[in-house]
Amino acid sequence: MTGFREQRSTRTPMMDRSTGRTRVVHWFACVVCMAHVSGEPAIAQPESVPFVAGFDRFARHGKIDTALSGWLLLTELSCTACHTATSEEFAPKLGPRLTGVGNRVRHDWIARFLRSPQLLKPGTTMPDVLAAVPESERAETAAAIAEFLMAQQEPFPEIKGTGARPVPHEFWNQGDVAAGRQLYHRVGCVACHEPDQDYETVESKPSPLDQLLEQLDADELKELGLTTAARRVESVPHGDLLAKYSRQSLTFFLLDPHSTRPSGRMPNLKLSVVEAADIATWLLREQPQRTVEPAESTARNSELVENGRRLFGELGCANCHAVTGTVRGAMSKPLAQLDAEASRSCMGAPQTGLPHFLLDSVQSAAIKSALAERARMVSIKPANVVQSVAEQQLHFQLLKLNCLACHERDMQGGVGRYRRPYFETIGHVDIGDEGRLPPPLTAVGRKLQTGWLTRVLQGNGDVRSHLRIRMPVFPAEHVKSLPALLVEADHSAAKQPAEKDVFGDISKLADDGRLLLDTGCVQCHPLRGDALPGVVGIDLQGIATRVHPQWFHDFLLDPGQLKSRTRMPTFFPGGQSQNRQILAGDTEQQIAAMWAYLKGLERYQLPPKIEQARSQDYELIPKDRPIVLRTFMDEAGTHAIAVGFPQRIHLAFDAEQVRFAHAWRGRFLDARGTWFERFAPPARPLGEKQINLPPGVPFAMFNNEQFPHPTFDAKDVTYQFLGYRLDKSGVPTFLYRFGRFDIEDHIQPTDDGQLSRRLTITDRTPEQSPASLWLRGHVGRTLKYESPMSYTSDVGLTVSVSQNGERAGELNGLEGRIEWLIPLTIERKKSIEVRYRW
Amino acid sequence: MVNQSSQLALPLIVLLCGLHAVADATAADRAQADESDYYRLVSVATSEASTDSRSKNWKPAPDGLALEVSGLTVLDDRRVAVAIRKGEVWILDGVYDDPPKNVTYHRFAAALHEPLGLLKHGDSLYTAQRTELTRLRDTDDDGQADEYLTVAKGWGVTGHYHEYAYGPKLDREGNLWLTLNIGMGLTGTQLDRTIKDPPLGYRQGRWRGWGMKVTPAGDLVPVCAGMRSPSGIGANAVGDMFYTDQQGNWVATNSLHHMRDGAFYHHPEALASMNEEDSPIAGITKVPGGIAYPDAVKQFSQLRPPAVWFPYKKAGQSATDILLDDSGGKFGPFSGQLFIGEFTQASMHRVFLEKVGGEYQGACFPFRSRFASAVLRMDQGTDGSVFVGLTNRGWSSLGTAAYGLQRLVWTGKTPFEIKEMRAMSNGFELVFTRPVDAPTATTPASWQMNSHTYLYHSTYGSDEILQRKLAIEKVTVSDDGLRVRLQVNGLRELFVHELFAFGIRSRDGEPLLHSHAWYTLNRIPR
Repeated sequence: MTGFREQRSTRTPMMDRSTGRTRVVHWFACVVCMAHVSGEPAIAQPESVPFVAGFDRFARHGKIDTALSGWLLLTELSCTACHTATSEEFAPKLGPRLTGVGNRVRHDWIARFLRSPQLLKPGTTMPDVLAAVPESERAETAAAIAEFLMAQQEPFPEIKGTGARPVPHEFWNQGDVAAGRQLYHRVGCVACHEPDQDYETVESKPSPLDQLLEQLDADELKELGLTTAARRVESVPHGDLLAKYSRQSLTFFLLDPHSTRPSGRMPNLKLSVVEAADIATWLLREQPQRTVEPAESTARNSELVENGRRLFGELGCANCHAVTGTVRGAMSKPLAQLDAEASRSCMGAPQTGLPHFLLDSVQSAAIKSALAERARMVSIKPANVVQSVAEQQLHFQLLKLNCLACHERDMQGGVGRYRRPYFETIGHVDIGDEGRLPPPLTAVGRKLQTGWLTRVLQGNGDVRSHLRIRMPVFPAEHVKSLPALLVEADHSAAKQPAEKDVFGDISKLADDGRLLLDTGCVQCHPLRGDALPGVVGIDLQGIATRVHPQWFHDFLLDPGQLKSRTRMPTFFPGGQSQNRQILAGDTEQQIAAMWAYLKGLERYQLPPKIEQARSQDYELIPKDRPIVLRTFMDEAGTHAIAVGFPQRIHLAFDAEQVRFAHAWRGRFLDARGTWFERFAPPARPLGEKQINLPPGVPFAMFNNEQFPHPTFDAKDVTYQFLGYRLDKSGVPTFLYRFGRFDIEDHIQPTDDGQLSRRLTITDRTPEQSPASLWLRGHVGRTLKYESPMSYTSDVGLTVSVSQNGERAGELNGLEGRIEWLIPLTIERKKSIEVRYRW
Repeated sequence: MVNQSSQLALPLIVLLCGLHAVADATAADRAQADESDYYRLVSVATSEASTDSRSKNWKPAPDGLALEVSGLTVLDDRRVAVAIRKGEVWILDGVYDDPPKNVTYHRFAAALHEPLGLLKHGDSLYTAQRTELTRLRDTDDDGQADEYLTVAKGWGVTGHYHEYAYGPKLDREGNLWLTLNIGMGLTGTQLDRTIKDPPLGYRQGRWRGWGMKVTPAGDLVPVCAGMRSPSGIGANAVGDMFYTDQQGNWVATNSLHHMRDGAFYHHPEALASMNEEDSPIAGITKVPGGIAYPDAVKQFSQLRPPAVWFPYKKAGQSATDILLDDSGGKFGPFSGQLFIGEFTQASMHRVFLEKVGGEYQGACFPFRSRFASAVLRMDQGTDGSVFVGLTNRGWSSLGTAAYGLQRLVWTGKTPFEIKEMRAMSNGFELVFTRPVDAPTATTPASWQMNSHTYLYHSTYGSDEILQRKLAIEKVTVSDDGLRVRLQVNGLRELFVHELFAFGIRSRDGEPLLHSHAWYTLNRIPR
């Protein structure tokens, strides 16, 4: 384990360019001041400006078009909530939905936040709304709106628990700080938010790029064009969560951020209730544990509430914040009519009647530039001919949703330099940055099928189960345009030929594909959940529903051309197959064959190497001693006891009907289903030459020579299975009781490939008159005479019984079958040898 | 290594703490402990599987033994034996070491078909497999079982996966007790293995949904019926036998039942075996459905209410094993009480039982959460600590592991808990582990009580119905502060009474470690 600490740059959203650490110090210093001032606390001056992830990462460093960066502010600061724009792309981000805010957020926090949003939550995009009213009325206004908001009560949703969803009682009070801290740093929170400086990630090998960045100074970085790569990416600020949330409200927020923040800027990380409680508890770790919080008073001053409701509308709060039953305030000038240089504006000095946005010069300049180029804003139009409309629209959306925090596209964005260590694999396997980090989106429209892109964005496309990080879910309305935009921006639509145009006829290629997969792919990819030992990567099952045939073809042909520095090796150097044995070495046919196999993977056998790896895990291969497995078998019932022998002859005993039921040769059994499958499928013999032994019980006693032989009845307790005993070499002797006889039944292979059975019968009441017992030697449609003590049935099974001084027995017809019955006279104890050959 | 900026911040953090101490009247709460301060978890072995617990392609961790503990029995002060779901019995030595760094593993038996219990009894280990109760013996002292003797069999096994067989556990008369899961949605050849001409038309394998005992003479005796998923069996301090059931069709929520002759509990498909020879239940001609549980008890004379209901989610989602704290105080202040394993929430509950009108009833309390995986098996060590067998494959659970073995050790500190909750004719009497603070306890607003019952019906689980808020009329505290009597109006028989004691404090100002209790008030004492 190594400690991981970021080296901090000085760029923060703060105007004073202090470090993140001193930002915290500043804030607490302010609290200290306030705590010591008596009476109405003086409102300290905020020192921060709104933080907009895409703006701060790219626009501040000139990495995106200035007008675009201004547009980003116009939506993310929700300017267009009051200054309507004509195009949907400029829809305002809007603020949290405040229905129910009264039991989510603390009263005191709301009141203070209203007085100075930036002071309480540095970086917030909420303007100072009270700037619109004279200083003398602000305290009163804030109190009224806070009272109104506290009256917005809505019960937290009931979370249904099921066998698949554990929901502990009052889970929000059961969070665990340590578990929450780990989750916070693992599942994706720190892709945008600040990691804890002391959190230790497990050492992972720094990528060559990271190593290089470490060694270069600023000038060298600039010279090599690595300044952007080397730059620290600022964190989306949390604000003072402890002052704002209870454990319950923060837990419910994390569980479903979109119900309160429909903007989706905070995505849904698919947390379980316990995970959400853990993270909330970590974030609120200064809060006393386990105390039941007294409910904030719900008695409200109704006059104040009504006053607040009115102000909430009048001051324009309702333009951004939905509250059931409020009316939006008046709209301001549409965007198209705004004067960037107007003396009276929300951006300049605070002015009565206007909310106030405290912006820095870069932000103001960006907005002015956007307004100056508003002609382009009817819809985004390319600033230059290089970018298509779709590309620009896409880019804008990726910036708004901060997709670029994790995903690189066209050399922009991706996981920031100091955040990479938090992207861990399960088990800390080394699969390089390519396997460890979220996939780049460059040209993804040409790679992934639209249907699959849609599924991923709906949160149902997790194929990288080896990553701790989760692809979060965004509200459908904010991502529904993305698949089409990706396709269009990547000029993909027209270029996607159908499967048959890429591969031709693949109907007979799957078997070859299976063998081709075996030569390389299986070294890095699991298939259908099975893999070679230690292999971690994307399972290729379903690949044909994920990627385009053409991309599959091109990527296999020359991976490096589509993905530079990929670990995927080329199997066709210079377009030539290295395997001349399969499909005559025809490259095109071979690629088509792999597609054909993977497309139907569900139906086909796994490639030989994986089959072999699987058999090492689950196939029972008797080596020195027999192997016993109790299981369900179609051939031997639900009380089957299978015995495999090193001689590669195996049998199954039915402990319910108390009979030797089945035998086979070659491979024994696969135990996976018996060992590890909930649905307990029957085990199937893997070998060949399977033979069913005659049905029915082995012995009978006949009164008055009564025929036929008794058949099996579950309630027939005259046969009682007593278990088995293993001898020194591990061979079981089955034990059972029939009437007055105890029977030991020992079966094992002979050197010449037969099964030899020794039946030892003991009379438990030898003092009684000697009993006559009949052994059922054989049963068949026909029985062919071999010798007086040997018959062969129509299915080719020869049974021979040791003479042992017995009578030869008799044949008895039985409803189309013939039984060979051998009378035995038992005096105390008798052994009989029976041989089975087939 | 501390970097510069955090050094810089240090004095201010100190200042910050000081500020809190002044501003925060409940600063003492911060130092409060959680469950782990009283009951510490020691992981003997826990493993994270690379696949989801419900994955079709589930795989054990690649590093060795799939210790999916399905049976657990303490051998002595060094060793435990565990049955694992793939069908083996292992003996683990050195499991009491703390930390357990030198545990050795030794395979004692194999080829068992999904064994779901393990009991050391005499010179043998006993385990219930799908098809039989088996006695394992090592007759030649080579450390490997060489006898797999069938102690009892004869229940129906149709081949449906849900037909689990659990046990055995021992009663005071030397009987070995088993419980048999009901089958679910049998099809095809499975139906050929069901009872022919079943009464009431229910198709099930023989004795499916029954509690059975095997006498010392080896007879398999059906005792009681109507079980759905009876994965836990256990005796209380006087040797009466109990089982737990799990929420599902006909079972409103998880429950604890006293097993005795002729009792019927939930699942009517068990009545397929009603007319079998030796059945102690007869004459049921009609099964009511879709009505409130108290009404069902009135209409269905054989229906015996559970001793304890575990309200769903609040007190777990999937009850498993039953453990009696028989350590005489080595496991803390709850000697003689029962502990109930919880699968889905990877936790453990505690149960207090009393007899009212000759029948058991009582209360359940949260006890310990955050086990590494689903709790399926428990057994008490010779030092009073509790070994806990974990496995979540096939279902889902909290926790970071897929399976393993942990040990729960009392730290010697006494948690502030409601130890006992007794019914009285006009309310409840609570006994605490430590004296309560009388002013907080006598404030009626420190308490809340509600009652509810369930629907008896064929659908999966039941909501809490006929809920009612009850007023605490009067609170009396004994002089020693250990007993509190709550006078409550509106008690209802056959209803669960939920107590939420959030406001009370111990004399040293601590809140309860768990402030909820649920009492199943089948009868109000006269």
